[in-house]
Amino acid sequence: MSARALGLGPAFRQAAFAPKFARNQIARRTVQTQSLPPSAAEGILNKQRLQRPSSPHFTIYQPQLTWYGSIAHRGTGAGLSVLLYGYALAYLVAPETFSSANVVEIVAGLPDAVKYAGKAVLAAPFAFHSFNGLRHLSWDVGKFLTVKGAYSSGYAVLGATAVTTAALVLM
Amino acid sequence: MSAIVARSAFNRRLANTFARHSLRPASQQVLARWVSSESGYVPGGPIYKGTVNDPTTFPPPSRTHGSHHWAFERLLSAGLVPLTAAAFVTSGTNYPVLDGILGISLVMHSHIGFDAMLVDYVHARKFPILGPLCTWTLRATTVAVLVGVYQFNTNDVGLTEFIAKVWTA
Repeated sequence: MSARALGLGPAFRQAAFAPKFARNQIARRTVQTQSLPPSAAEGILNKQRLQRPSSPHFTIYQPQLTWYGSIAHRGTGAGLSVLLYGYALAYLVAPETFSSANVVEIVAGLPDAVKYAGKAVLAAPFAFHSFNGLRHLSWDVGKFLTVKGAYSSGYAVLGATAVTTAALVLM
Repeated sequence: MSAIVARSAFNRRLANTFARHSLRPASQQVLARWVSSESGYVPGGPIYKGTVNDPTTFPPPSRTHGSHHWAFERLLSAGLVPLTAAAFVTSGTNYPVLDGILGISLVMHSHIGFDAMLVDYVHARKFPILGPLCTWTLRATTVAVLVGVYQFNTNDVGLTEFIAKVWTA
């Protein structure tokens, strides 16, 4: 029977290679305990708190429709709102430059490829946020509140988003 | 081979460290290791007030910040459904009131969304200065945006018609 099968490998290696001086020192230290006052508890706790990773730890979770959909809902909503806020503020500051006639003229002068790409970039978040908003409202009245319901409604939203985006781009 | 050499060198260093530390009285070691200035409550850091056994504090119950706020949010979101549908089949010039309601609703909806993000990511509990600063900046911006939308809807073609015109430009 090998030392590895018995799990003695590390012990043998340590005994063979570690210098005698160091081995004795460590062996003596490991059995010692420290007497801490009760007041040290919070210090230990805070020390551990400082080493905590941030939560939620996005990179270790499997990508799933549930939480990806949630993040996408916030992201698309924020993007569209930034556009609305940005344009309203721009019009407030420079009504001449950002007048509807001016903007329409500039957009009309763009090449078709840019127009279609721009429409897709605007239509997809709008469609997704709208349909996913309906999904959220249905959750709020108690519908689709199961894992299966969350997934089937999630796929329905993705399908409706694809169809609506295509329709809006071709409008 | 080099790994073995490195390990034994590490062991020796470890042993020296322990030997040096053991010369100091145990009480001093404890103080030095656990009660340091960096392990206190930090407003922006990962350390919260109190121990793990302290219950979390709750804000005073208020329907304005609770159920009423929640119901208002849902009503606003649900109201955007017919307003958006109407925007597709009407023009802002013919129905300016509808266009105005859509504009105000969209700005309020956006404001609530932005505010929810600030509550999630820059809460005053963790960011005592930046959090309220962001909240008030958002409030001021929303007021300016409302003025901008009002100006656009009264002096220009209005949101609905503007989007329709840009879309087919």
